[in-house]
Amino acid sequence: MAEQGAADPGNNNNNNKPEESEGTIIKVTVKTPKDKEEIAIAEDASVTQFKEEISKRFKAKQDQLVLIFAGKILKDGDSLSQHGIKDGLTVHLVIKTAHKAGDGSSTSAASSAPTQAGSSSTSSPATNTTSTTGSSGSAPPTTQTPNILTGFGDLASLAGLGMGSANFMELQQQMQRQLMSNPEMLSQIMENPLVQNMMSNPDLMRQMIMANPQMQQLMERNPEISHMLNNPELMRQTMELARNPAMMQEMMRNQDRALSNLESIPGGYNALRRMYTDIQEPMFSAAREQFGSNPFSALGGSSESGAQPSRTENREPLPNPWGPPNSSTSTESGGGTTGSTSTAGATNPSVSNPLGVNPGSLGNGMFNSPGMQSLLQQISENPQLMQNMLSAPYMRSMMQSLAQNPELASQVMMNNPLFAGNPQLQEQFRAQLPIFLQQMQNPEALSVMTNPRAMQALMQIQQGLQTLQTEAPGLMPSLMTGGAPGMPAGGGVPPVPPENPASPPTNAGTNAAQQQLMQQMLQMFAGGGGGGGGIATTQTPEIRFQTQLDQLNAMGFINREANLQALIATGGDINAAIERLLGSQPS
Amino acid sequence: MEQSVSYPVKLYIYDISRGMARQLSLQMLGKQLDGIWHTGVVVHGQEFFFGGAGISSCAPGGTVLGQPDSVVDMGSTEVPEDIFTEYLTSLSESTYSSDKYNVFEHNCNTFSSDVAHFLTGRKIPSYITDLPSEVLSTPFGQVLRPLLDSMAINPVGNNRNGPQ
Repeated sequence: MAEQGAADPGNNNNNNKPEESEGTIIKVTVKTPKDKEEIAIAEDASVTQFKEEISKRFKAKQDQLVLIFAGKILKDGDSLSQHGIKDGLTVHLVIKTAHKAGDGSSTSAASSAPTQAGSSSTSSPATNTTSTTGSSGSAPPTTQTPNILTGFGDLASLAGLGMGSANFMELQQQMQRQLMSNPEMLSQIMENPLVQNMMSNPDLMRQMIMANPQMQQLMERNPEISHMLNNPELMRQTMELARNPAMMQEMMRNQDRALSNLESIPGGYNALRRMYTDIQEPMFSAAREQFGSNPFSALGGSSESGAQPSRTENREPLPNPWGPPNSSTSTESGGGTTGSTSTAGATNPSVSNPLGVNPGSLGNGMFNSPGMQSLLQQISENPQLMQNMLSAPYMRSMMQSLAQNPELASQVMMNNPLFAGNPQLQEQFRAQLPIFLQQMQNPEALSVMTNPRAMQALMQIQQGLQTLQTEAPGLMPSLMTGGAPGMPAGGGVPPVPPENPASPPTNAGTNAAQQQLMQQMLQMFAGGGGGGGGIATTQTPEIRFQTQLDQLNAMGFINREANLQALIATGGDINAAIERLLGSQPS
Repeated sequence: MEQSVSYPVKLYIYDISRGMARQLSLQMLGKQLDGIWHTGVVVHGQEFFFGGAGISSCAPGGTVLGQPDSVVDMGSTEVPEDIFTEYLTSLSESTYSSDKYNVFEHNCNTFSSDVAHFLTGRKIPSYITDLPSEVLSTPFGQVLRPLLDSMAINPVGNNRNGPQ
């Protein structure tokens, strides 16, 4: 039976077909999941003939071939033209494997999938570095992944990524392991400009390393190590090393060679041994404990706590609950919330308002977004998450180093591309940075974050503010801050310049204004939301609450500080203040 | 002898941004996007989609995204379940293994488009497949690109490649 085409193209260029039929040759693309081929066949051929061709080309038995076109399965008895298969069209092919339904193959796919998921998630955080230098540095948090958009607002998926583990360290180690097992990832991370930025700052690196308690112990035991750390040249070199795995290998090889040379020197072996036991061992074990077997990893990525599967740092199109500060911290979620909280217009944190949330601005911008709300909700439903995050020792050291080094923090922030398009946000953020950093240090702030009820309360406040905004816009103007510029939220209340904490460059002025705003807000709430946006009274709370303070004193509450705090919190309401004081006394 | 059984095929479309893209995209990106679309193909009583963890399946509407924002009827297919499973398995070993995921070029919508074409010969609505290029054509999208490249969208479902 004359071959319909493929075999001798020379013969059948055009439509001259010997008898078979007047079939023109058409080229049909046959596509399998794995690849595709073009098959020339007569236009009026039957499916059987087509399959013959295909079985030759794909080296499969005709029985195994299943052809699909336009959702229909091509049966042997049909003809191609019956199904409308013309020149240039694509037909799908499935080659049935011996065991049907390919369960065998799915298991192999299964094994590759989890590792892939691991590495893909690890690499996402890598890029996610914008939000977490540290995390990428230390160990691309597997969690960090991406589910940015999906997981958006959904912490549940985090659990799937291993976040469920209550042990942060464990998580981090896992990440480290992942990182170690995939050198590609390390170089990817290193390439990220933010990481490079961080790494090129030897001071910061030193700080980070020193902040690690193990290192501190090590250093006490071996002053040489601290010398090493203090040597900027060496630091820089090490960082270069970490960045460039090839170079690292070279280095190691050189070192090994040098060491072996040492051995041959008389007495050298002993010296080597001593060296090993004194320095290398504790270092290795410290490193191993914390980071995994590679001591350089300590340098490359001590910093931040392993992060969490960050959800996103994507702030712009989808508001980023984690906000920039978290960029340095690997902790996404919680930090983010606070980040945005503070960014939304921080006020000075006080006891009653540990997060320094400016109620005036709560109604604005970021906080308004439904995503933000759902995030808050999730946070409140999932206190474990917050706790995990916050309890990581690295988080604290990270915070501390950030706090001591506002320059760096702002640098990190500015590098965050999300900010790039929004200079106002940048300004705002920069102004509030120190406040924010401070409040992160405040353990009370941290405990509020982990307290789901507190978070809920905050949300309620925000919602209340929102309603207020719509119901009584006149009330808000004096309280509203600039909020996040460009956000459509809230009915665009004009910022009141003198009271706008976001704009003034000087923090001093800002703080005072913010504090006043806070006071007013609280007073207002306490007073049942009475008239107008209270005007700034320049009196300090002490003066204002003088009478109340005296009364409390007379009643026997001697602790002036506590009294004052309680009064501030309750807005001057003595009874409430007393209850507060009594409530906190047993502590 | 044409007893062709046909199975309906539907496309479930989800807006991952939950409405935020519609509100904010104009300001953020400079152009209006009505949503960030994630799609899954529903056939044979299951929803199939491609994410960071590879090809996954679950009950229709069973991902964390909940019920779809819209459903498009893609027609019907004669491909029976076993052949379809074979097909998906081969895909997951080749062009749609989990490491091939790229949020711009080779994402859930690419997968849905290919599968829908396989099943019905039709393509999915173009506004979905055009989304990445829409985003990338804005300066902001370009800025975000390296960031997003590392991400994968992965609604939790029952991973067909995972232990079951």
